[in-house]
Amino acid sequence: MENSPPLVELIDVSKRFGRFIAVDNANFSLAKGSVLTILGPSGCGKTTLLRMIAGFESPTSGEIRINGEPVQAVPPYRRSIGMVFQNLALFPHMTAGENVTYPLKMRRFPPQDIPELVERYLGIVRLTGMKDRRIHELSGGQQQRVAIARALSFNPDLLLLDEPLSALDKKLREEMQLEFRRIQQKIGVTTINVTHDQREALVMSDEIIVMADGAIQQSADPVSLYRHPSNMFVASFIGLTSLVKGTVVQTEGTTVEFNVDSTILCGNAGSRFEVGQSVEGAIRAEQVRIHPEQTRPEEMDNVLEGVVSEQIFEGDRMVYQVQCPSLGSTPIFVFDHDPTHHVLHRKGDSVVLSWNVRDLLVYPCR
Amino acid sequence: MTSVKQSSHFPIKWRLLDAAERVAALVWPRQLHSYTGYLLLVPALLLVFVLVIGLIYIGGYSLHELDLANYRLKESFSLTNYYTAVTSTTYRTVVLRSLYGSFLVTVITIFLAFPYAYLMVRAREAMTRKFLLISLFLPFFIGQIVRAYGWLIILGKEGLLNNIVTFFGFSPLELIYNYPAVILGLIQYMLPFAVLLLAPAITAINRDMELASESLGAHWIQTFIHIVLPMAKPGLIGSSVVVFTLTLTDFAMPEILGGGTTDFIANSIYDGFFQLSNSGLGAALSMILVTLGTAFVVVIFSIAGTGTLGFSRRSK
Ligand SMILES: Nc1ncnc2c1ncn2[C@@H]1O[C@H](COP(=O)(O)OP(=O)(O)OP(=O)(O)O)[C@@H](O)[C@H]1O
Ligand SMILES: [Mg+2]
Repeated sequence: MENSPPLVELIDVSKRFGRFIAVDNANFSLAKGSVLTILGPSGCGKTTLLRMIAGFESPTSGEIRINGEPVQAVPPYRRSIGMVFQNLALFPHMTAGENVTYPLKMRRFPPQDIPELVERYLGIVRLTGMKDRRIHELSGGQQQRVAIARALSFNPDLLLLDEPLSALDKKLREEMQLEFRRIQQKIGVTTINVTHDQREALVMSDEIIVMADGAIQQSADPVSLYRHPSNMFVASFIGLTSLVKGTVVQTEGTTVEFNVDSTILCGNAGSRFEVGQSVEGAIRAEQVRIHPEQTRPEEMDNVLEGVVSEQIFEGDRMVYQVQCPSLGSTPIFVFDHDPTHHVLHRKGDSVVLSWNVRDLLVYPCR
Repeated sequence: MTSVKQSSHFPIKWRLLDAAERVAALVWPRQLHSYTGYLLLVPALLLVFVLVIGLIYIGGYSLHELDLANYRLKESFSLTNYYTAVTSTTYRTVVLRSLYGSFLVTVITIFLAFPYAYLMVRAREAMTRKFLLISLFLPFFIGQIVRAYGWLIILGKEGLLNNIVTFFGFSPLELIYNYPAVILGLIQYMLPFAVLLLAPAITAINRDMELASESLGAHWIQTFIHIVLPMAKPGLIGSSVVVFTLTLTDFAMPEILGGGTTDFIANSIYDGFFQLSNSGLGAALSMILVTLGTAFVVVIFSIAGTGTLGFSRRSK
């Protein structure tokens, strides 16, 4: 297994539309059986990347390999790739069952096997008995499932999902994320999933690629992506993150001290910095502690005084936006998971914020 | 009454509009507003009504035999005209020729129009799409008669084509005043109609449908047969009906390009009214034409369902 080639490999793949660079020098490889999510803001080139892998577009430069073979000359219908489209693209003139049958017929599966396969895959997506329903007689979630069954029924090497969940409401979307994970684990199909929903990316994937403006920013497993974002974009795109700008005054090992407005903050530096360099610090909302005015947290390294400027109740947690005079106008976001909600900070209350040095990530200014 | 006071500060345009609204409310009280939509139907209904009146009169004429003594229609009712129309081999040939011609023209036109419409909708370059669209509309600016004469200039005995043929020492070909010439002229005439009716149906098919089909293992020909054609059904039915009925009732092409050798029903009707002065027979032929056309439309829609016209509810 060690020396078998990765299932999908992109080598310096770029795509231009006229002068516009939609995908800029993408490199990654994907092992058999894993789930990769491409995460990025709208318009960053996710769909374009997926369409190149599916064979609907050809790269302007670079090479795509599937099973070690360059696929430049292979048309989509000869690639063993199941794709679920952003708009599902279910055939409205066919029933759910006929939609699932379609790839089996086109790919010349033995006719006697087809009914059984259709039943099986409709069963896997829990649509047994819905075979003869027309597409418009199905709910959004059920249509989703038909699309997944259709893309899987011919046992493709690779499954591509282009934000198929984005049209669903939050609850159904989260249900489908779990549902999809269940199906994926059952079948073990290698999957590339595209989304701009960070939660979906974290929930569903073995590996995440973050894209911005056509370029890959970072590629890592969900935990390290969340814990160690490799640049400012990734740090600010994932999670609720507060950003503070400053100038380096001192460095010592991985700790860097930088001046923000009228205070000096201590942070964790990913790379080397020069004194005087402009830097940005990022701190996640869940890593900031919030205390009433009188308390003095001892064990924390960064301690700041501030005033609550906004208080947002999200049900499972409270989000505070705190204005610290010593940081100038940049607000700090704080999650408070106090399960008892005994200590409520109201708008205008004076509070004390604190966090650990290692949680404040420092990056060079963009 | 404060609102009146305030309204004096409004711009004059607003006040005029308010006044207009008040007048409108007097003429057409609010309670009747839910019927406004039907009001807009009135002109169309009037037109149809006039058409129906005409049809009733023609139906009336068709039931009176011509009195050869004074070239007037007899007072008494009879089915003689229909009997003549149905039993005469001449008229039977004309009817069959028209039906067969319409069938042929419809099939060939749709066959040619579909790729054209498809390309016009799907072509990658905007230039290609524009070129196809403009070439489509150009013939509309040139009337049917002018186009028929255009064909005469090209295909006539001393036309362009025969000039070339005779230049190479062959004897001139008989290219006009025959059935194929009429069919050719009609196809050229009908093509833009068919394309215009097909294009929206193709536009309505999301491109992703075709890509999905391809990624599921279908060659483009299979995609075309299993996905594009069925999904374009409304457009295919609509354009077939229009092309068929327009051809069936056409007058100019058989007249000019057929030169009297290949009359369609409309030509016979004309002859009945104006050559034979037998308005009873002409009227009977008209009734037969109307019946044939209606029967065709009814049959097509009962097979395909009116849903193909977009009447059925669509789910998104
Ligand atoms: N055929 C095309 N011609 C020109 N530009 C294009 C074409 N297709 C995509 N683009 C551009 O490439 C960029 C990336 O598009 P893409 O569809 O890959 O974005 P995306 O990441 O999938 O966005 P979303 O999350 O909104 O779906 C966009 O700025 C888009 O305008
Ligand atoms: Mg997209």
